Amino acid sequence: MILSLIKILIFPGFLFVFVLALAAEYADRKLYARMQTRIGPPWFQPFADFVKLLSKELIIPELADRTIFRILPLVACAAVAAAFLFIPVYNPESLFSFKGNIVAVIYILTIPTLTYFLAGWYSRSLYSLIGSMRVLTQMFSYEVPLLMAVLAPGILASSWTFSEVIAFYGSKGSLFCINVISFVVAVIAVQGKLEKVPFDIPEAETEIVAGTFTEYTGPLYAYFKLAMNIQTVSAAALLAAVFMPFGYNLGFILGIIIFLLKIFLIIVILAVVRTIFARIRMDQMVMFCWKYLTPLALLQILINIIIKAAAAQ
Amino acid sequence: MIKSVQKLINWSRLKSPWVIHFNTGACNACDIEIVAALTPVYDLERFGVQLKGTPRHADVLLCSGPVTRLIKDRLVRIYEQMPEPKFVVAVGTCACSGGVFDGCYNMLSGIDEAIPVNAYIPGCPASPDAIIDGVTKLLKSFEEGEAKKLESSGESAVRS
Repeated sequence: MILSLIKILIFPGFLFVFVLALAAEYADRKLYARMQTRIGPPWFQPFADFVKLLSKELIIPELADRTIFRILPLVACAAVAAAFLFIPVYNPESLFSFKGNIVAVIYILTIPTLTYFLAGWYSRSLYSLIGSMRVLTQMFSYEVPLLMAVLAPGILASSWTFSEVIAFYGSKGSLFCINVISFVVAVIAVQGKLEKVPFDIPEAETEIVAGTFTEYTGPLYAYFKLAMNIQTVSAAALLAAVFMPFGYNLGFILGIIIFLLKIFLIIVILAVVRTIFARIRMDQMVMFCWKYLTPLALLQILINIIIKAAAAQ
Repeated sequence: MIKSVQKLINWSRLKSPWVIHFNTGACNACDIEIVAALTPVYDLERFGVQLKGTPRHADVLLCSGPVTRLIKDRLVRIYEQMPEPKFVVAVGTCACSGGVFDGCYNMLSGIDEAIPVNAYIPGCPASPDAIIDGVTKLLKSFEEGEAKKLESSGESAVRS
């Protein structure tokens, strides 16, 4: 009982993911700055931002629904932190394991996006309303390719459970390289999920002020920012477990190091994409996702089914 | 315990001043200089400065220009939308005193006739270096003031 509480609250639970989330934001901002040939923020910057936002005044708009306005940031935080508990960190078994937990993680990671939509809706501000509509439109375009891409490796392993997928690819050497198409699709879709450039349409600062978070001040905005950072880490850990299923049986310290390296690799990819692209329009985003990403994800599923049928014969 | 928490909060406020830029009727020269100060050349993110789009997220309001009578209500409204603690910086001679527009029938003479101002940065236009210098001086004075407040509160606690 106490051991599992420690696991949930400290490692690899909430405290670990909190530190990892702040480190992820720092790494992202520092890489972004270095690629623009500037120095960038100091290492404590995300923590200072978080403490400052927590200590600021809380303003709730007069027309907004007070209860829902307050609850939504906490729901977003809880959902992303809960998703992390189901993803394996240093051993193939995640903290709480059950059959088909890859599907469960994808669904839990959808909840924060829905809270962003509700946050904009209940703020009763024009900018947040436009932002929340864009959040929903964007979600309907990236969610389908993401789901298909993340589930494709599981087809070869005949299982949608993390431990079984990792065990299958672990026994097959470099077979996981076959999933490279769906890895690319999933990274692009995650970029859309995290609302980063080029898919930062829902919070486009130059168009709609700050999107869904326009009316959020102080502590509530701090929780939303934290939720976004934890979402980055959770999504990166999900991609690491599904597409890079190696290094999970090497013991505690080596396992943690390999896990952190994998997350860092995905954050580097996301930061490079953020630096070299400009924001695209909503219709371009929807067209890109349905016209190119979804067929590519389907192609991966087709390849995996053919290989599986060939191997079975 | 409470004192160390207060110290942490003060430190965090010094380390992440988020700014919002509002043109209160300037000729655009100061605005260009403010935008120039936020470019990668000067790299204000070193000090944790970020430009925010909404007053709800900002700590520092950078105003440029003498306040026209039309924009005065909007300025006050934006100021009231910012959560406490908030700071106002008047950038440019016009924002400090009205400059060449002083005495016009349609202008106030300076930001401080509409809202309280924490720092004045003169110059026509104020150069990016001057703006960065002014903001750091504002933060330093805030740090000293808070340190004094902490000390005096500690003394009074000991006395009582």
